[in-house]
Amino acid sequence: MIEADSTHLWMHFWAIATAATVSAGSALVGSFLVVRRLSLLGDAISHAVLPGIVLAVLAGGRPGGAGVFLGAVVAALVTVWLTNLLGTHAGLAEDASAGVAFTTLFAIGVVLVSALASRVDIDPECVLYGILELVPFDTVSILSLEVPRALLAAAAVLIVLVIGAVLCWKELVFTAFDPAAARAAGLPVGVVSAGLLVATSLATVASFEAVGAILVVAMLAVPAAAAELLFRRFHVMLVVAVGLGVAGSILGYLAAWRFNTNAAGMIAVVLGIEYVVAALVAPGDGIVARVVSRESLRWRVACEDRLASLWRAEEGDAAALAPRTLLDRLVQARLVFGGRINRGGSGGLTDIGREEARVIVRSHRLWEAWLGRHVALPLDHLHPPAEWIEHHLGAEVRGRIAADLEGHEGDPHGRDIPPEGFPPRAADEPAP
Amino acid sequence: MILAVVDDPFPAGWIPPYNTLVVAAGVASVGFAAGVVGCFAVLRRRALAGDAAAHATLLGIGLAFLLGGGRRDLPLLLAGALATAIAALLGLVLIGRWTRTRDDAATAIVLGVSFGAGITLLSGITARGIPGSAGLGQFLLGHTAGLTAADATILGAVSLLAVGMVALFLKESTLVAFDPLFAAASGWPVMLIDYALVVLVAVMVVVGLPAAGAVLVTALVVIPPVTARQWTDSVGVMLPLAGMFGLVAALSGVAVSSAVPRMPTGPLVVIAASVLLTVSLLIAPRRGGLARWLEARRTVAAWADGRLLEVALRLDGDGPFTREQLLARAPGAAADSAFKRLVRSAALEPVVTRGGTHAWRLAVWGRELAAERSRRVAAWTEVLEAAREDARGHLTIDVPSPEAILGAARMKAIRELAAAERVAGGPRPGQPGQPGQPGGGAGG
Repeated sequence: MIEADSTHLWMHFWAIATAATVSAGSALVGSFLVVRRLSLLGDAISHAVLPGIVLAVLAGGRPGGAGVFLGAVVAALVTVWLTNLLGTHAGLAEDASAGVAFTTLFAIGVVLVSALASRVDIDPECVLYGILELVPFDTVSILSLEVPRALLAAAAVLIVLVIGAVLCWKELVFTAFDPAAARAAGLPVGVVSAGLLVATSLATVASFEAVGAILVVAMLAVPAAAAELLFRRFHVMLVVAVGLGVAGSILGYLAAWRFNTNAAGMIAVVLGIEYVVAALVAPGDGIVARVVSRESLRWRVACEDRLASLWRAEEGDAAALAPRTLLDRLVQARLVFGGRINRGGSGGLTDIGREEARVIVRSHRLWEAWLGRHVALPLDHLHPPAEWIEHHLGAEVRGRIAADLEGHEGDPHGRDIPPEGFPPRAADEPAP
Repeated sequence: MILAVVDDPFPAGWIPPYNTLVVAAGVASVGFAAGVVGCFAVLRRRALAGDAAAHATLLGIGLAFLLGGGRRDLPLLLAGALATAIAALLGLVLIGRWTRTRDDAATAIVLGVSFGAGITLLSGITARGIPGSAGLGQFLLGHTAGLTAADATILGAVSLLAVGMVALFLKESTLVAFDPLFAAASGWPVMLIDYALVVLVAVMVVVGLPAAGAVLVTALVVIPPVTARQWTDSVGVMLPLAGMFGLVAALSGVAVSSAVPRMPTGPLVVIAASVLLTVSLLIAPRRGGLARWLEARRTVAAWADGRLLEVALRLDGDGPFTREQLLARAPGAAADSAFKRLVRSAALEPVVTRGGTHAWRLAVWGRELAAERSRRVAAWTEVLEAAREDARGHLTIDVPSPEAILGAARMKAIRELAAAERVAGGPRPGQPGQPGQPGGGAGG
């Protein structure tokens, strides 16, 4: 397998090209499925096309030929029809009726494949997870170049899908995001949906030989879902989905080659890794972004609480508690390093630190005073909300609360509310 | 071709060996438990989450095989399968909680990627020629031939345990399945019960693996409950019924596959379940296709009877009338048979007049019947006229659909009749009747 003569390299090149082409088409269709919440339609169709393919091959169609595509499209339409029939007549929920329809059709397909193994040139294992490695052995000659048949079929499907997407772009997007408005605007929503259905079955059949029935589901849904996490504009998402699909195919194939295992499965694994990475690094609401924003808030609150407690200690001439927990020690170190707390034994506030602390304590006491004035809360219930909101009040809100209090210069506990901008510090005064 | 291989699998006087009997009993209890547990999966719309868990089992089987040092020890493999199945469900929950990927895509992602990982691992194991790895592929599509009596006993025991759990928490599960909001408001731990149900589904998916295989085992959990649902509206009946359907499907699938060489069990189990479902969809009382068709026919016939009686009453005012006169004024395919029923019910009394032609008059109680119907039609017309005004502006948003009250069959009959009347050029329903016109006054 590791022999690096040119024939082998060509084989791998063709297999990778096939996987990438298949993946690009699937990601293209999958993007529409994902935004329309129809990912499971891809799941259902990819299982259900099997009997269509088997019957078409049995009737004399060639794998990858037009007859097989027709058989698959018919099988896909039958699945959707069956699902709807079960939904309306048997009163089933959508997931149950889809589950019944596609498992049954897939079972029929597997039984056909097993029973007619001698007459149908389909490997039951290939049905499930494809044999990408064998794709380069079934070739057609084009311009004196031996091109794999599966690659030609996949490329033809990809071209059809791209042309279809470009020509019907407006209708597809409108229907995807607001079907009710699209219907009201006079678009043939049903035709667009049926077209998407046919596109899904085309992409599925093109993928079938290379990656098998079930891993098509991953190729359809995973790159699109990952791209959706990363980008919010649909056309960007679409391009990124195709890119992720192609990249996942290439990397997956190479990894499978390296570890000597099934390429289609490895492609699905790489696509899964891409999704996890996208979920982690997605801007704004990715997991990393969420954790960072939550933790940075926690950090800021801890720093401000420390400053405020030192300020209160100075006010009451009492010593502040020494830092105990790890977070406290980190906060202390950060505040010392940032010039808010004096280095050395005393640990008192610097001028900058004192000023920042004063603003926090002012926020705290203004809020307590305001609550005490306007909300009938017992005295000992004023502190917790103030403890929370002191980190979130801006200068303008503080000003308006102060104006509302009309110069009542104390908080409900009888302590002074420190002034806003006092004492003015000279701009060139060095921090101690 | 197939039959040539096994010409007589069960010769006369053949007694199945002990092992076969135990395996059959084990598979039967797996089928039963899958049906019972599946009821809640279907009711709570967790069918496809179960599918994702099922596809993830392959990875666990591969991992357990490696951890166990290459032993093909079924309980160990299934424990691994359960671990990854639950991990897949956990993945679904995490995706739902931490990303904005929607449920459908999350299911597809977990299903596709975990299956890919399983295939990668199993292919890697096979490619390295680790001894004992050849049989691992059997978990893809199911294969019960290799089951020992000990394996089957374990499968059966776990299944019965699952049924016991359902029986024990029947009240809670039913409540959560039908009215989760009420259950939450009453202080039940809905999330916990929900998760427990999903884990139970994962357990059933795992013990169903030898019989149905990772790819199709969902069907064992989904199809029998759907079948049972056709026959009953009561959970208490649906659960054992689904269990029985699952049992029959699992047993017959396994039996057929043992008689056919190289045929995986899973697809046959699924097809057996689907056959049961198809039959149920056709013949189940009230919901079945046959029952619906009969109901629709009855509705159409009852309509035709009433309309014919109405026309007869009008014609009767001018003396005897012929069958042709009657049918000419009552359009519709069902009028002819309605006439026969009218004659048989003796609402018409035959009057033979000169020339040998049959002419008819209404009998006394036929006249009463027709008059009573006219009175009711007039009353309903009045009500519906008022409702027509009401429907324009005064009905609230939560007004029930007419189908909900009249039934789909009746609504269909009404629409067909209205269409027939429009074609026949008769007055629209609800308009005042015009004497002598076919269909006049019969609207509403």
